[in-house]
Amino acid sequence: MFYISYGLTIASELPLPELAVRQHGAETEADIRIGIGVVDTEGLADGRQIGPFLWVSATALWLRIPRVARFLVTGGSRILIDPEPGIDEDSLRVFLLGSAMGALLFQRGCLVLHGNAIRIGDQCMVCVGRSGAGKSTLAAGFMQREYPVLADDVVAVDGDCRALPGFPRIKLWQDVASQLGIDTANLRRIRPNTEKFNLPVAATEAGSPLPIRWVYILGSDHGEEMTLEPIRGLHRFQPLHDNTYRVRFLNGMALKPQHLALCGRLAGRIRLARLTRPRDGFSLDRMIERILADIAEYP
Amino acid sequence: MGGIYWLASYPKSGNTWFRTFLRNLIDDSSAPADINDLKTGGIASSRGWLDEVLGFDTAELDPDEVERLRPVVYRWSLRAETVGYHKIHDAYTHTADGEPLVSRDATLGAVYILRNPLDVAPSVANHNQCSIDEAIAGMGDSGYALCRSRQRLTDQVRQRLLSWSAHVLSWTDAPGLNRLVIRYEDMLDDPAATFTRAARFLQVPDDPARVEKAIRFSGFQELARQEQEKGFRERPSRAARFFRQGRSGGWRDTLTAGQVERIIADHGAVMRRFGYLDTSGQPV
Repeated sequence: MFYISYGLTIASELPLPELAVRQHGAETEADIRIGIGVVDTEGLADGRQIGPFLWVSATALWLRIPRVARFLVTGGSRILIDPEPGIDEDSLRVFLLGSAMGALLFQRGCLVLHGNAIRIGDQCMVCVGRSGAGKSTLAAGFMQREYPVLADDVVAVDGDCRALPGFPRIKLWQDVASQLGIDTANLRRIRPNTEKFNLPVAATEAGSPLPIRWVYILGSDHGEEMTLEPIRGLHRFQPLHDNTYRVRFLNGMALKPQHLALCGRLAGRIRLARLTRPRDGFSLDRMIERILADIAEYP
Repeated sequence: MGGIYWLASYPKSGNTWFRTFLRNLIDDSSAPADINDLKTGGIASSRGWLDEVLGFDTAELDPDEVERLRPVVYRWSLRAETVGYHKIHDAYTHTADGEPLVSRDATLGAVYILRNPLDVAPSVANHNQCSIDEAIAGMGDSGYALCRSRQRLTDQVRQRLLSWSAHVLSWTDAPGLNRLVIRYEDMLDDPAATFTRAARFLQVPDDPARVEKAIRFSGFQELARQEQEKGFRERPSRAARFFRQGRSGGWRDTLTAGQVERIIADHGAVMRRFGYLDTSGQPV
Protein backbone atom coordinates (compact mmCIF):
# COMPACT_ATOMS: atom_id res chain seq x y z
CA MET A 1 0.00 0.00 0.00
CA PHE A 2 1.02 3.63 -0.57
CA TYR A 3 0.55 6.39 1.95
CA ILE A 4 1.34 10.07 2.24
CA SER A 5 2.82 11.61 5.34
CA TYR A 6 5.32 14.40 6.06
CA GLY A 7 4.96 15.21 2.37
CA LEU A 8 6.52 11.86 1.47
CA THR A 9 5.19 8.86 -0.37
CA ILE A 10 5.50 5.79 1.77
CA ALA A 11 5.32 2.25 0.43
CA SER A 12 4.64 -0.08 3.34
CA GLU A 13 4.27 -3.82 3.70
CA LEU A 14 2.67 -3.16 7.07
CA PRO A 15 -0.83 -1.65 6.75
CA LEU A 16 -0.92 1.84 8.26
CA PRO A 17 -4.59 2.72 8.81
CA GLU A 18 -3.57 5.89 10.67
CA LEU A 19 -2.15 7.39 7.47
CA ALA A 20 -3.74 8.94 4.42
CA VAL A 21 -3.78 6.46 1.54
CA ARG A 22 -2.37 7.38 -1.83
CA GLN A 23 -4.51 5.71 -4.44
CA HIS A 24 -2.05 5.28 -7.27
CA GLY A 25 1.64 4.79 -7.19
CA ALA A 26 4.56 2.71 -8.24
CA GLU A 27 7.20 1.22 -5.95
CA THR A 28 9.88 3.29 -7.66
CA GLU A 29 8.15 6.54 -6.78
CA ALA A 30 8.20 5.91 -3.07
CA ASP A 31 10.36 8.20 -0.93
CA ILE A 32 10.27 5.74 1.93
CA ARG A 33 9.98 1.97 1.89
CA ILE A 34 8.83 0.11 4.99
CA GLY A 35 9.37 -3.62 4.85
CA ILE A 36 9.21 -6.70 7.05
CA GLY A 37 12.42 -8.71 7.08
CA VAL A 38 15.45 -9.83 8.99
CA VAL A 39 17.24 -7.30 11.20
CA ASP A 40 20.50 -8.36 12.83
CA THR A 41 20.05 -9.29 16.49
CA GLU A 42 23.36 -7.80 17.59
CA GLY A 43 23.11 -4.15 16.58
CA LEU A 44 25.17 -2.43 13.89
CA ALA A 45 28.56 -3.90 12.95
CA ASP A 46 29.92 -0.48 11.92
CA GLY A 47 28.02 1.49 14.53
CA ARG A 48 28.19 2.68 18.08
CA GLN A 49 25.93 1.53 20.89
CA ILE A 50 24.25 4.54 22.52
CA GLY A 51 21.66 2.75 24.66
CA PRO A 52 20.88 -0.78 25.83
CA PHE A 53 18.64 -1.24 22.78
CA LEU A 54 20.06 1.42 20.50
CA TRP A 55 22.87 1.59 17.95
CA VAL A 56 23.72 4.33 15.46
CA SER A 57 26.11 4.85 12.59
CA ALA A 58 26.52 7.76 10.18
CA THR A 59 23.65 6.47 8.06
CA ALA A 60 21.69 3.98 10.15
CA LEU A 61 19.82 3.56 13.41
CA TRP A 62 19.11 0.18 14.99
CA LEU A 63 16.45 -0.04 17.70
CA ARG A 64 15.07 -2.97 19.60
CA ILE A 65 11.82 -2.88 21.52
CA PRO A 66 12.03 -6.05 23.62
CA ARG A 67 9.20 -8.49 22.92
CA VAL A 68 7.95 -6.29 20.07
CA ALA A 69 10.44 -5.93 17.20
CA ARG A 70 13.80 -4.77 15.95
CA PHE A 71 13.88 -1.77 13.61
CA LEU A 72 16.60 -0.79 11.17
CA VAL A 73 16.30 2.74 9.78
CA THR A 74 18.71 3.58 6.97
CA GLY A 75 19.59 6.50 4.72
CA GLY A 76 16.40 8.42 5.40
CA SER A 77 14.53 6.15 3.02
CA ARG A 78 14.15 2.67 4.40
CA ILE A 79 12.73 1.08 7.54
CA LEU A 80 13.01 -2.64 8.06
CA ILE A 81 10.93 -4.27 10.79
CA ASP A 82 11.75 -7.65 12.28
CA PRO A 83 8.76 -8.54 14.48
CA GLU A 84 9.00 -10.85 17.48
CA PRO A 85 6.91 -13.98 17.05
CA GLY A 86 3.23 -13.48 17.83
CA ILE A 87 3.34 -9.70 18.18
CA ASP A 88 0.28 -7.76 16.99
CA GLU A 89 0.45 -5.16 14.20
CA ASP A 90 -0.72 -2.28 16.40
CA SER A 91 2.31 -2.74 18.63
CA LEU A 92 4.60 -2.62 15.59
CA ARG A 93 2.87 0.51 14.27
CA VAL A 94 3.15 2.56 17.44
CA PHE A 95 6.95 2.22 17.58
CA LEU A 96 7.29 2.45 13.80
CA LEU A 97 5.40 5.75 13.72
CA GLY A 98 7.23 6.97 16.82
CA SER A 99 10.94 6.34 17.28
CA ALA A 100 11.62 4.72 13.89
CA MET A 101 9.95 7.46 11.87
CA GLY A 102 11.56 10.10 14.09
CA ALA A 103 14.98 8.66 13.28
CA LEU A 104 14.19 8.56 9.57
CA LEU A 105 13.12 12.21 9.57
CA PHE A 106 16.42 13.11 11.28
CA GLN A 107 18.24 11.20 8.55
CA ARG A 108 16.37 13.23 5.94
CA GLY A 109 17.79 16.38 7.49
CA CYS A 110 14.68 17.52 9.34
CA LEU A 111 14.65 19.12 12.73
CA VAL A 112 12.33 16.88 14.71
CA LEU A 113 10.56 18.37 17.71
CA HIS A 114 8.74 16.52 20.49
CA GLY A 115 5.37 18.20 20.39
CA ASN A 116 2.48 18.95 18.15
CA ALA A 117 1.71 21.42 15.41
CA ILE A 118 -1.55 23.33 14.96
CA ARG A 119 -2.48 25.37 11.94
CA ILE A 120 -3.37 28.99 12.71
CA GLY A 121 -4.30 30.87 9.54
CA ASP A 122 -1.53 30.34 7.01
CA GLN A 123 1.10 29.64 9.61
CA CYS A 124 1.53 27.14 12.38
CA MET A 125 2.06 26.96 16.10
CA VAL A 126 4.07 24.22 17.78
CA CYS A 127 3.69 23.16 21.42
CA VAL A 128 6.58 21.24 22.92
CA GLY A 129 7.28 19.85 26.38
CA ARG A 130 8.17 16.72 28.26
CA SER A 131 5.90 13.66 28.38
CA GLY A 132 2.94 14.45 30.59
CA ALA A 133 3.11 18.22 30.08
CA GLY A 134 -0.30 18.16 28.39
CA LYS A 135 0.66 18.42 24.73
CA SER A 136 -1.89 15.96 23.37
CA THR A 137 -4.63 17.39 25.56
CA LEU A 138 -3.91 20.81 24.16
CA ALA A 139 -3.88 19.49 20.57
CA ALA A 140 -7.24 17.79 21.12
CA GLY A 141 -8.60 21.03 22.63
CA PHE A 142 -7.51 23.02 19.56
CA MET A 143 -9.05 20.35 17.35
CA GLN A 144 -12.36 20.70 19.17
CA ARG A 145 -12.22 24.40 18.34
CA GLU A 146 -11.76 23.38 14.72
CA TYR A 147 -8.12 24.30 14.32
CA PRO A 148 -6.48 21.70 12.04
CA VAL A 149 -3.85 19.54 13.73
CA LEU A 150 -0.78 19.20 11.52
CA ALA A 151 1.17 16.70 13.61
CA ASP A 152 1.01 15.10 17.04
CA ASP A 153 3.99 13.89 19.07
CA VAL A 154 6.56 14.05 16.25
CA VAL A 155 6.85 17.39 14.46
CA ALA A 156 9.18 17.42 11.46
CA VAL A 157 10.57 20.81 10.43
CA ASP A 158 12.16 21.24 7.01
CA GLY A 159 15.12 23.44 6.02
CA ASP A 160 12.75 26.37 5.42
CA CYS A 161 11.44 26.15 9.00
CA ARG A 162 8.12 24.74 7.87
CA ALA A 163 6.26 22.04 9.78
CA LEU A 164 5.40 19.04 7.63
CA PRO A 165 1.94 17.51 8.00
CA GLY A 166 2.40 14.26 9.91
CA PHE A 167 0.06 11.43 10.82
CA PRO A 168 -3.54 12.62 10.95
CA ARG A 169 -4.23 11.44 14.45
CA ILE A 170 -3.82 12.40 18.09
CA LYS A 171 -2.84 9.78 20.66
CA LEU A 172 -5.37 10.26 23.42
CA TRP A 173 -5.46 8.78 26.91
CA GLN A 174 -8.81 7.67 28.26
CA ASP A 175 -8.61 10.20 31.06
CA VAL A 176 -8.15 13.10 28.62
CA ALA A 177 -10.88 11.79 26.33
CA SER A 178 -13.28 11.75 29.29
CA GLN A 179 -12.35 15.32 30.22
CA LEU A 180 -13.02 16.48 26.67
CA GLY A 181 -16.24 14.51 26.35
CA ILE A 182 -14.82 12.33 23.57
CA ASP A 183 -16.37 8.87 23.41
CA THR A 184 -13.65 6.25 22.92
CA ALA A 185 -16.02 3.35 22.26
CA ASN A 186 -15.44 3.54 18.51
CA LEU A 187 -11.80 4.60 18.55
CA ARG A 188 -8.94 2.21 17.80
CA ARG A 189 -6.72 1.41 20.72
CA ILE A 190 -3.07 2.29 20.10
CA ARG A 191 -2.07 -1.10 21.50
CA PRO A 192 -4.35 -3.86 22.72
CA ASN A 193 -3.23 -3.55 26.34
CA THR A 194 -3.23 0.24 26.73
CA GLU A 195 -5.96 2.75 27.55
CA LYS A 196 -4.81 5.02 24.80
CA PHE A 197 -6.67 5.71 21.58
CA ASN A 198 -6.14 6.91 18.04
CA LEU A 199 -8.25 10.01 17.54
CA PRO A 200 -8.34 10.69 13.79
CA VAL A 201 -8.00 14.31 12.70
CA ALA A 202 -9.03 15.70 9.34
CA ALA A 203 -6.01 15.18 7.10
CA THR A 204 -7.07 17.09 4.02
CA GLU A 205 -7.40 20.49 5.70
CA ALA A 206 -3.78 20.46 6.74
CA GLY A 207 -2.22 19.05 3.62
CA SER A 208 0.74 21.31 2.95
CA PRO A 209 3.80 22.38 4.97
CA LEU A 210 3.29 25.56 6.94
CA PRO A 211 5.83 28.07 8.25
CA ILE A 212 6.28 27.89 12.01
CA ARG A 213 5.60 31.24 13.62
CA TRP A 214 5.06 30.39 17.29
CA VAL A 215 6.54 27.79 19.63
CA TYR A 216 5.25 27.37 23.19
CA ILE A 217 7.04 25.25 25.77
CA LEU A 218 4.48 23.69 28.08
CA GLY A 219 5.25 23.09 31.70
CA SER A 220 3.73 23.19 35.14
CA ASP A 221 4.89 24.38 38.52
CA HIS A 222 3.74 24.99 42.06
CA GLY A 223 2.63 28.55 41.36
CA GLU A 224 -1.00 29.55 41.48
CA GLU A 225 -1.24 31.47 38.23
CA MET A 226 -0.66 30.48 34.64
CA THR A 227 2.30 32.42 33.28
CA LEU A 228 3.56 33.14 29.79
CA GLU A 229 7.17 34.14 29.66
CA PRO A 230 8.75 35.10 26.33
CA ILE A 231 12.22 33.77 25.59
CA ARG A 232 14.37 36.21 23.71
CA GLY A 233 17.64 36.45 21.86
CA LEU A 234 20.31 33.82 22.36
CA HIS A 235 18.27 32.08 25.04
CA ARG A 236 15.98 30.70 22.34
CA PHE A 237 18.38 28.14 21.02
CA GLN A 238 18.74 25.79 24.01
CA PRO A 239 15.01 25.18 24.66
CA LEU A 240 14.54 24.19 21.04
CA HIS A 241 17.45 21.78 21.25
CA ASP A 242 16.16 20.41 24.59
CA ASN A 243 12.75 19.70 23.08
CA THR A 244 14.14 17.83 20.14
CA TYR A 245 12.60 14.40 19.71
CA ARG A 246 15.01 11.74 21.05
CA VAL A 247 18.02 13.99 21.12
CA ARG A 248 20.14 10.89 21.81
CA PHE A 249 19.55 9.72 18.22
CA LEU A 250 21.59 12.64 16.94
CA ASN A 251 24.72 11.48 18.70
CA GLY A 252 26.58 9.35 16.26
CA MET A 253 24.37 9.90 13.23
CA ALA A 254 26.68 12.69 12.04
CA LEU A 255 23.71 15.01 11.90
CA LYS A 256 24.48 17.27 14.78
CA PRO A 257 25.92 20.27 12.86
CA GLN A 258 22.96 20.31 10.52
CA HIS A 259 20.56 19.96 13.43
CA LEU A 260 22.15 22.80 15.36
CA ALA A 261 22.07 25.02 12.29
CA LEU A 262 18.36 24.35 11.83
CA CYS A 263 17.65 25.02 15.52
CA GLY A 264 19.44 28.34 15.13
CA ARG A 265 17.54 29.25 12.00
CA LEU A 266 14.20 28.41 13.58
CA ALA A 267 15.12 30.27 16.78
CA GLY A 268 15.72 33.39 14.72
CA ARG A 269 12.25 33.58 13.23
CA ILE A 270 9.73 32.48 15.83
CA ARG A 271 7.91 33.89 18.80
CA LEU A 272 9.06 31.56 21.59
CA ALA A 273 7.51 31.52 25.05
CA ARG A 274 7.28 29.29 28.07
CA LEU A 275 3.68 28.63 29.13
CA THR A 276 3.57 27.37 32.68
CA ARG A 277 0.37 26.29 34.36
CA PRO A 278 -0.28 25.51 38.01
CA ARG A 279 0.12 21.81 38.64
CA ASP A 280 -3.09 21.87 40.64
CA GLY A 281 -5.37 22.78 37.80
CA PHE A 282 -5.29 22.12 34.12
CA SER A 283 -7.73 24.61 32.66
CA LEU A 284 -7.65 23.72 28.99
CA ASP A 285 -9.86 26.59 27.88
CA ARG A 286 -7.73 29.13 29.72
CA MET A 287 -4.56 27.71 28.17
CA ILE A 288 -5.95 27.84 24.68
CA GLU A 289 -7.21 31.37 25.19
CA ARG A 290 -3.86 32.49 26.60
CA ILE A 291 -2.07 31.07 23.55
CA LEU A 292 -4.54 32.60 21.11
CA ALA A 293 -4.22 35.99 22.80
CA ASP A 294 -0.42 35.80 22.50
CA ILE A 295 -0.73 34.80 18.86
CA ALA A 296 -3.04 37.74 18.21
CA GLU A 297 -0.48 40.06 19.81
CA TYR A 298 2.42 38.65 17.77
CA PRO A 299 0.81 37.76 14.43
CA MET B 1 33.24 4.55 36.92
CA GLY B 2 29.45 4.71 37.04
CA GLY B 3 26.88 2.80 39.01
CA ILE B 4 24.16 3.83 41.40
CA TYR B 5 23.74 4.39 45.11
CA TRP B 6 20.03 4.24 45.92
CA LEU B 7 18.54 6.59 48.48
CA ALA B 8 15.59 4.40 49.36
CA SER B 9 12.61 4.96 51.60
CA TYR B 10 8.87 4.69 51.97
CA PRO B 11 7.41 8.12 51.08
CA LYS B 12 7.47 10.79 53.79
CA SER B 13 10.35 9.24 55.69
CA GLY B 14 13.09 11.83 55.28
CA ASN B 15 14.37 11.06 51.78
CA THR B 16 14.28 14.67 50.59
CA TRP B 17 15.98 15.81 53.76
CA PHE B 18 18.72 13.25 53.20
CA ARG B 19 19.18 14.23 49.55
CA THR B 20 19.44 17.88 50.54
CA PHE B 21 22.13 16.96 53.06
CA LEU B 22 24.01 14.98 50.42
CA ARG B 23 23.84 17.82 47.90
CA ASN B 24 25.14 20.30 50.45
CA LEU B 25 27.88 17.89 51.51
CA ILE B 26 29.07 17.31 47.95
CA ASP B 27 28.80 20.99 46.94
CA ASP B 28 30.57 22.27 50.08
CA SER B 29 29.35 25.71 49.10
CA SER B 30 29.09 28.86 51.22
CA ALA B 31 25.29 29.00 50.91
CA PRO B 32 22.58 26.33 51.23
CA ALA B 33 21.72 24.36 48.09
CA ASP B 34 18.48 25.32 46.36
CA ILE B 35 15.83 22.70 47.22
CA ASN B 36 14.40 23.11 43.73
CA ASP B 37 17.70 22.26 42.13
CA LEU B 38 19.13 19.38 44.16
CA LYS B 39 20.94 17.92 41.18
CA THR B 40 21.21 14.51 42.77
CA GLY B 41 20.12 12.07 40.07
CA GLY B 42 16.46 11.73 39.14
CA ILE B 43 14.05 9.43 40.93
CA ALA B 44 14.25 5.79 39.80
CA SER B 45 10.70 5.93 38.48
CA SER B 46 11.27 8.99 36.27
CA ARG B 47 9.67 8.37 32.90
CA GLY B 48 12.00 10.90 31.31
CA TRP B 49 15.08 8.96 32.43
CA LEU B 50 13.73 5.63 31.16
CA ASP B 51 12.58 7.04 27.79
CA GLU B 52 15.87 8.81 27.23
CA VAL B 53 17.98 5.69 27.75
CA LEU B 54 15.59 3.30 25.98
CA GLY B 55 15.03 5.46 22.90
CA PHE B 56 11.29 4.78 22.86
CA ASP B 57 8.26 5.86 24.87
CA THR B 58 7.44 3.90 28.01
CA ALA B 59 4.01 5.55 27.65
CA GLU B 60 3.35 2.94 24.93
CA LEU B 61 4.10 0.04 27.28
CA ASP B 62 2.01 -1.52 30.01
CA PRO B 63 3.30 -1.29 33.59
CA ASP B 64 4.67 -4.85 33.62
CA GLU B 65 6.57 -4.28 30.38
CA VAL B 66 8.07 -1.11 31.83
CA GLU B 67 9.09 -2.89 35.02
CA ARG B 68 10.96 -5.53 33.07
CA LEU B 69 13.05 -2.85 31.35
CA ARG B 70 13.94 -0.85 34.43
CA PRO B 71 16.98 -2.92 35.53
CA VAL B 72 18.34 -2.66 32.00
CA VAL B 73 18.15 1.13 32.13
CA TYR B 74 19.90 1.25 35.50
CA ARG B 75 22.62 -1.09 34.23
CA TRP B 76 23.33 1.41 31.47
CA SER B 77 24.45 3.81 34.24
CA LEU B 78 27.56 1.66 34.67
CA ARG B 79 28.88 3.37 31.54
CA ALA B 80 28.60 6.81 33.10
CA GLU B 81 31.79 8.52 34.24
CA THR B 82 30.51 9.28 37.71
CA VAL B 83 28.47 7.58 40.41
CA GLY B 84 24.76 8.49 40.58
CA TYR B 85 22.72 9.00 43.75
CA HIS B 86 19.10 8.29 42.99
CA LYS B 87 16.01 8.50 45.12
CA ILE B 88 13.69 5.50 45.00
CA HIS B 89 10.33 4.78 46.64
CA ASP B 90 9.75 1.36 45.07
CA ALA B 91 10.07 -1.60 47.39
CA TYR B 92 13.03 -3.88 46.64
CA THR B 93 11.16 -6.21 44.30
CA HIS B 94 11.96 -8.46 41.38
CA THR B 95 10.76 -8.20 37.80
CA ALA B 96 8.79 -10.94 36.08
CA ASP B 97 12.18 -12.20 34.84
CA GLY B 98 13.31 -12.66 38.44
CA GLU B 99 15.85 -9.86 38.37
CA PRO B 100 16.04 -7.24 41.14
CA LEU B 101 14.22 -4.14 39.90
CA VAL B 102 17.22 -1.98 40.81
CA SER B 103 19.66 -4.26 38.93
CA ARG B 104 22.19 -6.17 40.95
CA ASP B 105 25.02 -5.12 38.61
CA ALA B 106 24.27 -1.41 38.66
CA THR B 107 23.67 -1.14 42.39
CA LEU B 108 26.72 -0.03 44.37
CA GLY B 109 24.65 0.15 47.53
CA ALA B 110 21.58 1.60 49.19
CA VAL B 111 20.96 3.93 52.09
CA TYR B 112 17.60 2.86 53.45
CA ILE B 113 15.85 5.51 55.54
CA LEU B 114 12.99 4.46 57.76
CA ARG B 115 10.70 6.38 60.05
CA ASN B 116 8.24 5.46 62.76
CA PRO B 117 5.05 4.44 60.90
CA LEU B 118 3.03 6.27 63.56
CA ASP B 119 4.57 9.49 62.22
CA VAL B 120 4.54 8.37 58.59
CA ALA B 121 0.74 7.92 58.57
CA PRO B 122 -0.24 11.56 59.33
CA SER B 123 2.48 12.80 56.98
CA VAL B 124 1.23 10.58 54.13
CA ALA B 125 -2.33 11.77 54.83
CA ASN B 126 -1.19 15.38 54.52
CA HIS B 127 0.86 14.64 51.41
CA ASN B 128 -1.98 12.85 49.63
CA GLN B 129 -4.69 15.03 51.17
CA CYS B 130 -6.53 11.94 52.34
CA SER B 131 -7.80 10.97 55.78
CA ILE B 132 -5.42 9.39 58.26
CA ASP B 133 -7.53 6.23 58.13
CA GLU B 134 -7.03 6.03 54.39
CA ALA B 135 -3.30 6.56 54.82
CA ILE B 136 -3.20 3.75 57.39
CA ALA B 137 -5.14 1.48 55.03
CA GLY B 138 -2.67 2.20 52.22
CA MET B 139 0.30 1.46 54.47
CA GLY B 140 -1.28 -1.86 55.34
CA ASP B 141 -2.06 -2.80 51.73
CA SER B 142 0.39 -5.36 50.33
CA GLY B 143 -0.59 -4.36 46.77
CA TYR B 144 -0.10 -0.62 47.25
CA ALA B 145 1.48 1.18 44.30
CA LEU B 146 2.08 4.78 43.19
CA CYS B 147 1.21 6.04 39.68
CA ARG B 148 -0.89 2.98 39.05
CA SER B 149 -3.50 4.62 36.82
CA ARG B 150 -3.53 3.19 33.32
CA GLN B 151 -5.93 5.84 32.07
CA ARG B 152 -3.56 8.77 31.96
CA LEU B 153 0.02 9.78 31.47
CA THR B 154 2.08 10.46 34.59
CA ASP B 155 5.66 11.66 34.61
CA GLN B 156 6.63 8.71 36.79
CA VAL B 157 6.03 5.03 36.09
CA ARG B 158 4.23 2.65 38.45
CA GLN B 159 6.03 2.03 41.73
CA ARG B 160 5.10 -1.00 43.81
CA LEU B 161 5.47 0.01 47.45
CA LEU B 162 3.80 -3.01 49.07
CA SER B 163 2.76 -2.47 52.71
CA TRP B 164 4.94 -0.31 54.96
CA SER B 165 6.31 -3.41 56.73
CA ALA B 166 6.96 -5.28 53.50
CA HIS B 167 8.69 -2.18 52.10
CA VAL B 168 11.05 -2.00 55.07
CA LEU B 169 11.80 -5.72 55.03
CA SER B 170 12.27 -5.82 51.25
CA TRP B 171 15.21 -3.41 51.55
CA THR B 172 16.60 -4.32 54.95
CA ASP B 173 16.63 -8.07 54.30
CA ALA B 174 17.43 -8.13 50.57
CA PRO B 175 20.14 -10.78 50.21
CA GLY B 176 23.52 -9.58 49.01
CA LEU B 177 22.59 -5.89 49.05
CA ASN B 178 25.31 -3.52 50.25
CA ARG B 179 23.22 -1.31 52.51
CA LEU B 180 23.12 1.13 55.37
CA VAL B 181 19.89 1.42 57.33
CA ILE B 182 19.30 4.72 59.09
CA ARG B 183 16.32 5.94 61.03
CA TYR B 184 14.73 9.37 60.57
CA GLU B 185 14.65 9.66 64.36
CA ASP B 186 18.43 9.18 64.54
CA MET B 187 18.93 11.83 61.86
CA LEU B 188 17.05 14.17 64.23
CA ASP B 189 18.51 13.04 67.57
CA ASP B 190 22.14 12.55 66.62
CA PRO B 191 22.66 14.15 63.25
CA ALA B 192 26.45 14.33 63.37
CA ALA B 193 26.92 10.59 63.96
CA THR B 194 24.10 9.49 61.68
CA PHE B 195 25.03 11.65 58.71
CA THR B 196 28.74 10.92 59.12
CA ARG B 197 27.99 7.20 58.96
CA ALA B 198 25.98 7.76 55.78
CA ALA B 199 28.73 9.89 54.22
CA ARG B 200 31.30 7.15 54.87
CA PHE B 201 29.00 4.52 53.43
CA LEU B 202 28.51 6.58 50.26
CA GLN B 203 32.26 7.28 50.07
CA VAL B 204 31.83 11.04 50.03
CA PRO B 205 33.83 13.46 52.22
CA ASP B 206 33.09 12.99 55.92
CA ASP B 207 35.26 15.55 57.71
CA PRO B 208 33.38 16.94 60.72
CA ALA B 209 33.29 20.61 59.68
CA ARG B 210 31.93 19.80 56.27
CA VAL B 211 29.32 17.39 57.62
CA GLU B 212 28.28 19.93 60.26
CA LYS B 213 27.79 22.63 57.62
CA ALA B 214 25.81 20.30 55.34
CA ILE B 215 23.56 19.38 58.28
CA ARG B 216 23.02 23.05 59.06
CA PHE B 217 22.26 23.90 55.41
CA SER B 218 19.71 21.10 55.20
CA GLY B 219 18.03 21.70 58.56
CA PHE B 220 14.26 21.76 58.74
CA GLN B 221 14.17 25.54 59.33
CA GLU B 222 16.17 26.11 56.16
CA LEU B 223 14.05 23.76 54.03
CA ALA B 224 10.80 25.24 55.33
CA ARG B 225 12.16 28.76 54.79
CA GLN B 226 13.02 28.00 51.17
CA GLU B 227 9.61 26.40 50.58
CA GLN B 228 7.90 29.41 52.14
CA GLU B 229 9.86 31.79 49.92
CA LYS B 230 9.95 30.00 46.59
CA GLY B 231 7.77 26.94 46.84
CA PHE B 232 9.00 23.39 46.33
CA ARG B 233 8.53 21.65 43.02
CA GLU B 234 8.20 18.20 44.61
CA ARG B 235 5.25 19.32 46.71
CA PRO B 236 2.14 17.45 45.58
CA SER B 237 -0.46 19.79 44.16
CA ARG B 238 -2.97 18.99 46.85
CA ALA B 239 -0.79 19.52 49.90
CA ALA B 240 -0.27 23.01 51.34
CA ARG B 241 3.32 22.33 52.40
CA PHE B 242 5.87 19.60 51.79
CA PHE B 243 8.08 20.35 54.81
CA ARG B 244 5.49 20.18 57.52
CA GLN B 245 6.85 19.48 60.96
CA GLY B 246 10.25 17.87 60.67
CA ARG B 247 10.04 16.22 64.06
CA SER B 248 9.28 12.87 65.58
CA GLY B 249 6.51 11.90 67.96
CA GLY B 250 3.97 14.25 66.39
CA TRP B 251 1.60 11.29 66.15
CA ARG B 252 0.81 11.67 69.87
CA ASP B 253 -1.17 14.84 69.04
CA THR B 254 -2.72 13.55 65.83
CA LEU B 255 -3.63 9.88 66.00
CA THR B 256 -6.56 8.41 67.91
CA ALA B 257 -5.98 5.43 70.18
CA GLY B 258 -7.76 3.26 67.61
CA GLN B 259 -5.46 4.43 64.82
CA VAL B 260 -2.37 3.73 66.93
CA GLU B 261 -3.71 0.26 67.69
CA ARG B 262 -4.35 -0.43 64.06
CA ILE B 263 -0.84 0.59 62.95
CA ILE B 264 0.66 -1.56 65.69
CA ALA B 265 -1.55 -4.47 64.66
CA ASP B 266 -0.40 -4.10 61.05
CA HIS B 267 3.28 -3.40 61.64
CA GLY B 268 4.11 -4.41 65.22
CA ALA B 269 6.80 -6.94 64.34
CA VAL B 270 8.79 -4.56 62.17
CA MET B 271 8.25 -1.68 64.59
CA ARG B 272 9.67 -3.77 67.41
CA ARG B 273 12.68 -4.79 65.34
CA PHE B 274 13.59 -1.18 64.58
CA GLY B 275 13.00 0.17 68.04
CA TYR B 276 9.61 1.80 67.64
CA LEU B 277 7.96 -0.45 70.24
CA ASP B 278 9.31 -1.41 73.64
CA THR B 279 9.40 -4.98 74.93
CA SER B 280 5.87 -4.70 76.24
CA GLY B 281 4.63 -3.63 72.80
CA GLN B 282 4.11 0.04 73.71
CA PRO B 283 5.21 2.83 71.36
CA VAL B 284 8.56 4.29 72.38
